[in-house]
Amino acid sequence: MPNDIFVVVEYKDGGIRKVSLELLSKARQVTERLGSTLYAVVMGHAVTELAAVLRKFSNKVIVVDHEELENYRWDTFTSVLEKLAEKYKPFMVLGGSTVTGKDLFPRVAARLKGAIVSDAVGMELDGTSVRIKKPLYGGKIVSWVSCKENLTAMITFRPNSFAVENHNLTGELIEESVDPLRDPRITVTGIDKGGSKKVDIQEADFIICGGRGMKGPENFDILESIADLMGGRVGASRAVVDSKWRDYDDQVGKSGKTVSPKLYIGCGVSGALHHTMGMDTSKVIVAVNKDPNAPIFSYADYGIVDDLFTVLPILKKELEQAKEET
Amino acid sequence: MNIIVFLKQVADTEARIFIKSDQNSLEIENKYNMNFFDEFAVEEAIKIKEKSKDAQVTVCTYGPKRAIEALRTAIAMGADKAVLLNSDGLECDDSLTVSKVLAAFAKNEGLDLILCGRQAIDDESASIGGMVAEFLGVPHVSAILSLDVTDGKTARVESEVEGGKERVEVHLPALLTTQKGLNTPRVPLITGVMKAMKAVIPDVDPTILGLPREEIDPSAAGIRVLSYETPQQRPPVKILEGETPAEKVQGLIKALKEQAKVL
Repeated sequence: MPNDIFVVVEYKDGGIRKVSLELLSKARQVTERLGSTLYAVVMGHAVTELAAVLRKFSNKVIVVDHEELENYRWDTFTSVLEKLAEKYKPFMVLGGSTVTGKDLFPRVAARLKGAIVSDAVGMELDGTSVRIKKPLYGGKIVSWVSCKENLTAMITFRPNSFAVENHNLTGELIEESVDPLRDPRITVTGIDKGGSKKVDIQEADFIICGGRGMKGPENFDILESIADLMGGRVGASRAVVDSKWRDYDDQVGKSGKTVSPKLYIGCGVSGALHHTMGMDTSKVIVAVNKDPNAPIFSYADYGIVDDLFTVLPILKKELEQAKEET
Repeated sequence: MNIIVFLKQVADTEARIFIKSDQNSLEIENKYNMNFFDEFAVEEAIKIKEKSKDAQVTVCTYGPKRAIEALRTAIAMGADKAVLLNSDGLECDDSLTVSKVLAAFAKNEGLDLILCGRQAIDDESASIGGMVAEFLGVPHVSAILSLDVTDGKTARVESEVEGGKERVEVHLPALLTTQKGLNTPRVPLITGVMKAMKAVIPDVDPTILGLPREEIDPSAAGIRVLSYETPQQRPPVKILEGETPAEKVQGLIKALKEQAKVL
């Protein structure tokens, strides 16, 4: 129906990813004002139990449960999402700008001949039309765009763009049976998931990032312990990853991940443009650097000019104490 | 084997960018480079060519005339042929339109393998690879970290997936998007640069590719820019003062709790 919205739900380790709940929360504001229906769309295998949570966040939960959907593949997921979009005709399909979202949405957009906006960070309703906010040129410019009216709008948003609001709805559960179409030209020969239980760096609320000033890989232990304490992640600058002190997965910046946590702490990070491009949408930025002229201080809210290795143990202790108090 | 590399010329990360007074267009300082992630695609294509001998590498971009410089860089690195699809007067920012044009080019050219960067660093869209593959009806793999096409029929790749890596075998023709870590892009040799300077790069009007003009006209775009703005500037940094590091940290914690309210 016109003005209905799909949110494509991602999940991990049996739980719904925060980015999906953020999108449902934001989309709810839009459908409420337009008097339309918000659908949470879950594709997978043995995922019906996720619906209980999703019902609180949406008017309707569409579940497609099929063993072919056990692991994400663009071919099977595209075929299912295409069928659902044709049947329910949402005017917008929203998803996370995640590894999966970035793979799935373009494929589906092309199949539906839809409009696509990727890596957006905001959405506003002007009367009955939706404006999408998207940073360009590494955050130097912000653009507001709209999608052509008669096209399905496929939009991916950066995690941590919106707040999660519990709506206490009691959405209707719809179990759709759609047969996923597998592309025989692709065979998966191995999956290596590393088994990390850590929060995804793009979804983390807290990131403590080490730069060249950390001096060596062994000094990242204290960052790890602070990240664990705060339930967050350790990030790294390009110099650190290029020196093989940390994995590429940790890299924040133009050539790594774009992150926007609630609190970012840069330790011995100089603040080169290619790094700040990947973190300048963080809510609060703290920089610790002994060089008062380090460029990172022009991006930070708070700064400590001092020796990192003296500051970090104190910071850890103080954060522990702050945690205990709350 | 026919390898096509799609690349984009993007504003250098250091380039200054201004919003014009109409709030609807940008003025970009004249500093442009080949998109960071596309360099891995060019390098990988050349590596395949060096190994298999019968491979031909064609680099192509859809963009304004100035983008020819990015194609020259690819020729200097070792690409055989370059084509500029000139976007003058046509839509070249909208992913839907751009991918239709690139798919039409690949269809005309004939292809075994298409490589392109996983995303452009100016708009971070990461849409073109998957969309071009869909318009061509070929499989794709996003963000590859290793590639082996020794038999010319199948690509064995390792790629980034949610929470880890996946190994996949995909029949050619296929489209693969490239990620940092795949290889180390070479710095062109002086002989390559000389060759690139002399290379004649055709400047092609994409309307000859068989796409109806109305599909690549600016009015065809799925996305319309309403306005540009400069991002909200952060207030100047507050440097925590104190006699000792401990005092500074305590000041920080207090500020994070009471002012920023993030603890």
